[in-house]
Amino acid sequence: MIKINDLHKNFDSQAVLNGLNLEIKKGETIVIIGRSGCGKSVLLKHMIGILEPDSGEVIVDGQRVADLKGKDLVQLRMKFGMLFQGAALFDSLDVYENVGFALIEHTKLPEAEIRKRVRRALESVDLVDIEHKKPAELSGGMKKRVGLARAICNTPQIVLYDEPTTGLDPIMADMINDLIIRLQSQLKITSIVVTHDMTSAYKVGTRIAMLYDGKIITQGSPNEIRNTQDPVVRQFINGAAKGPITDKRNNDFHF
Amino acid sequence: MGRKLPEIFIVAKRKIATFLEYVGGVILLFVQTLKWTFTPPFKRRPLIEQMEKTGVNSFSIVFLTAFFTGIVLAFQTAYTMKKMSAEIWIASLVGLSMTRELGPVLTALVVAARVGAAIAAEVGTMKVTEQIDALETLATNPVKYLIVPRFLALAIMLPILTVYADFVGMFGGFIVGVSKLQIPPHLYIKKSFDALVYKDIFAGLLKSLIFAFIISIIACYEGMRTKGGAEGVGKSTTMSVVNSCILIIAFDCFFTALFYFLW
Repeated sequence: MIKINDLHKNFDSQAVLNGLNLEIKKGETIVIIGRSGCGKSVLLKHMIGILEPDSGEVIVDGQRVADLKGKDLVQLRMKFGMLFQGAALFDSLDVYENVGFALIEHTKLPEAEIRKRVRRALESVDLVDIEHKKPAELSGGMKKRVGLARAICNTPQIVLYDEPTTGLDPIMADMINDLIIRLQSQLKITSIVVTHDMTSAYKVGTRIAMLYDGKIITQGSPNEIRNTQDPVVRQFINGAAKGPITDKRNNDFHF
Repeated sequence: MGRKLPEIFIVAKRKIATFLEYVGGVILLFVQTLKWTFTPPFKRRPLIEQMEKTGVNSFSIVFLTAFFTGIVLAFQTAYTMKKMSAEIWIASLVGLSMTRELGPVLTALVVAARVGAAIAAEVGTMKVTEQIDALETLATNPVKYLIVPRFLALAIMLPILTVYADFVGMFGGFIVGVSKLQIPPHLYIKKSFDALVYKDIFAGLLKSLIFAFIISIIACYEGMRTKGGAEGVGKSTTMSVVNSCILIIAFDCFFTALFYFLW
């Protein structure tokens, strides 16, 4: 469904993605783990066509994302929903306008129908009667859930989650995990979750892939990852301060 | 010395490259904005909202600036004219100065500080909080959705504010002329409008339209290239006001010279 071939991306001459290959199947929940700033969000932004690769390609349903323009790009993006790390709700719009944004902007549906769909999307993230509120009036957890409601309101086939549990208390984080699993089983969507929260990764993922040094260095089921002998992956999943990842970084600083 | 020279060239090359990149970016954004301005669908609500924010809410600050400038201009002119007993020409001078020069330039500077800063801060905050990326993921072009309404609103409202400033400035001069210099009101008004010809007003309005393009495009460009958090937004806001003001004065100089020689 999504195929990424030899993806390279540099920012200010620093390689963030360095020959990344990954295949994502329809209906699965793949969790991409990796340290902060390792390029996980950059990878998501390539999938939806916000960023263009320096070389390599991202293919979604047989179409090269970088080649799409105009209506084709709009159509591709309508297949996706994305939950941003900070929710990225539009400050100047209320919750109804935020959640129904794509429907209001891109469809000719009557307002009553859009209101119904917005209510349904909000109900699926356990929120009711907050359509008239502005994002500034919401708590962090509510913002994330509204962001999630916005991502699923136009019934996408693929949902991208950028650090869905970061910045939330453990209970709210687990509620978000449950939501991801529930949406996945109810709507049969493909989910791509980017996180460094291992509890969340084990819980929601049907497959886990680790991004390190601009590449996917390993992938497997949550159990395979949990029992891996790869020292780099082990250091990350155990959250150890010492190990090959930090050693390499320290060496990079010295030379 | 021989060793230092290449270093200077490297720095100069970098500075020139940064400058050209900035100019290129601004021109590219201007072209994209023009393209999206004429691409349907056309939505009235965001345009009207922006016209209120950028234009209607600027009337009071433009009033104060133009009114006091008109008064000062009349007093300063009276100081010289009195020596030649030619006070009556104050009316023409204030009228001409306001419509040809001070009306467009002062209004643009005030709007660059008030509206340009607000646009840069708003767009910059949207950029650093990923709201612009969110727009794209919702299949909405940020130029069409964010920049076009602000660009059009300023292009419509700045000339209107300029005409308003022209009249308010002339009214300031009128008060000085009539109350302090004892010029009969009807004579002052007649002298003000006798001196004005169609091209004076048109030249002023053309300038204000160019200034509107400068303010909106620079503010949006600075907003869209914002990096980092609150510090980045502050930097973009400052750069937006500084660059707009410099460009307004520079373009004013250019157009004044152009009109002088060609028209």
